[in-house]
Amino acid sequence: MADTTAGTIYDVGYQRYEGVRLGRRHAIWALYVHSLRGVFGIGRSLSSKVGPMGLAVIALVPAIFQLGVAGVTPTELSVIRPEEYYNLIEVVLAVFCAVVAPELVGRDQRTRTLSLYFSRALRRQDYAVAKFAALMTGMLAITVIPQAMMFVGNGLANDFGDYLQDEWTDLPSILGSAILLSGLIAGIGLVIAAQMPRRAYATVGILAAFVLTSIIAGSVFEAADQNVGRFALLLSPFHVVQGLTLWFFDVAPGSGTQLAEARFSGVVYAIDAALVTLLMLALLFRRYERISP
Amino acid sequence: MTLIRTVGLTKRFAKITALDALDLELEPGIIGLVGANGAGKSTLIKLLLGLLEPTSGSGEVMGFDVFRQGPELRQFVGYMPEHDCLPADVSATEFVAHMAQVSGLPRAAARERTAETLRHVGLFEERYREMRGYSTGMKQRVKLAQALVHDPRLILLDEPTNGLDPEGRDEMLRLIRRIGSEFGIAMILSSHLLGEIERVCDHLVEIEDGRLVRSVPMTVLTAPTSVLTVEVDGDGDRLADRLREQGVTVSRSGRFLLVQKEDDALLDLVRDSVVDLGLGLVRLEQGRRRLEELFQSQPSLEEEEDLRG
Repeated sequence: MADTTAGTIYDVGYQRYEGVRLGRRHAIWALYVHSLRGVFGIGRSLSSKVGPMGLAVIALVPAIFQLGVAGVTPTELSVIRPEEYYNLIEVVLAVFCAVVAPELVGRDQRTRTLSLYFSRALRRQDYAVAKFAALMTGMLAITVIPQAMMFVGNGLANDFGDYLQDEWTDLPSILGSAILLSGLIAGIGLVIAAQMPRRAYATVGILAAFVLTSIIAGSVFEAADQNVGRFALLLSPFHVVQGLTLWFFDVAPGSGTQLAEARFSGVVYAIDAALVTLLMLALLFRRYERISP
Repeated sequence: MTLIRTVGLTKRFAKITALDALDLELEPGIIGLVGANGAGKSTLIKLLLGLLEPTSGSGEVMGFDVFRQGPELRQFVGYMPEHDCLPADVSATEFVAHMAQVSGLPRAAARERTAETLRHVGLFEERYREMRGYSTGMKQRVKLAQALVHDPRLILLDEPTNGLDPEGRDEMLRLIRRIGSEFGIAMILSSHLLGEIERVCDHLVEIEDGRLVRSVPMTVLTAPTSVLTVEVDGDGDRLADRLREQGVTVSRSGRFLLVQKEDDALLDLVRDSVVDLGLGLVRLEQGRRRLEELFQSQPSLEEEEDLRG
């Protein structure tokens, strides 16, 4: 039979979409997933993977070192303590943020893709929330994974059951500290990156926000009267990260360190981190409220 | 269903009033938005999308309040901006599929419709390549595809032919016309080129200095005129004389005679005269007004722009 419809199979013409439309929440989720992939350069060219992936690996180095030690020494020996971990990799965390945040938000402004997002099924704040959540998740990944590796590795080097029984309180400490510091670093990074669409400026700006403030706050603390000067440390993300991590692990700062001399109760750093993160989110909302895409 | 309704829609920027108390009511169709650069076209489009907040007034698109129900409304709206808006380091497929999801489509449906839509706009093998190497024409197609992929009820196109060569312009206009008429999607198309609007649109909205000048169906503007164009094979002057003897107003325009038509009886008169004189009738055509003529009766858009500096 000569089938007259055979030809039309290949040119079906325009099809209306009759399926479901999932609305705003789905749009936010889609932007979050897309952005999170972008954090690690997944779905992008090889060159955009090198930076974030490389830094993620560097953040693992202390953990791998500890695992090596745990593997060869029969006793329970922690060369690298979990509460000191972020202190060791703080520069890596800052550089990761400085590399990723400008890509995450600056790119949409440079290429003006922002106007396409803002004309879709989400609100301007939703865009900020999705980007923040994506970067925070990325930061969480590079902080929690090495900690988890150390925990499991140390456990396996000994009797895992015993280890778990003795050290399980580390788990909420690991998670709690990682969440607070990820939010803090992501928030600061995004505010700067959203303000400076040019990537090079944003990267330098973010690095300065972490490294320079740390140096300046440290000097101010040393130079000024310590009862006043110690508040400068609350403005330095690195000091705050250290303080809150020690508090989560219930460890006193080493004697002679600035944190020890500042004599803040550890919870002050945790609250400070939460407040600064909220402030950063508010600034981010304001930025996207005002930007003309 | 009313497509668009604005009441007293006003947008003021620091120094200028871009849109001044605009009252507009439009039915679905292919709507051309004309006006000089800076007349308020882009501002109106951005207000309708909720990309800008109005200084005062209200706007409704397809029954949704533009400023309160933005996300709900924008599931059903596509937007093709005038400016570049594509990231360089992703492929068209990946980008358009992502945009479909941000419009609310589930992942699988987004992928499926992306393939289909890119085919409709005429992007084939190159759709898997990074967009950095795309020509202007290809980029315009991707921009159109991302506005179309989620099967919107309304597409807003801001100067869609900008930067295209004549051939690319033609193709883009054909595509737009097809989306409007065949796909049945309402469209608002802004352009400063009247010829484009005339070719594609069935309704015209003209704004100037942020105010509405007119909003009329295209058929009214390009209505038949009362002038007949006649072309004959042979001595046209003899025909002209014959017609003048009958009291008809005739003027000459090159090879053509322009004949003032009072009623349809004139058509018979022309035919009979041609036969009597033994001439050959090559063309007998009812004149149509062109948009350009219409705008020439007022100071032209370009002139105003010059005045404004």
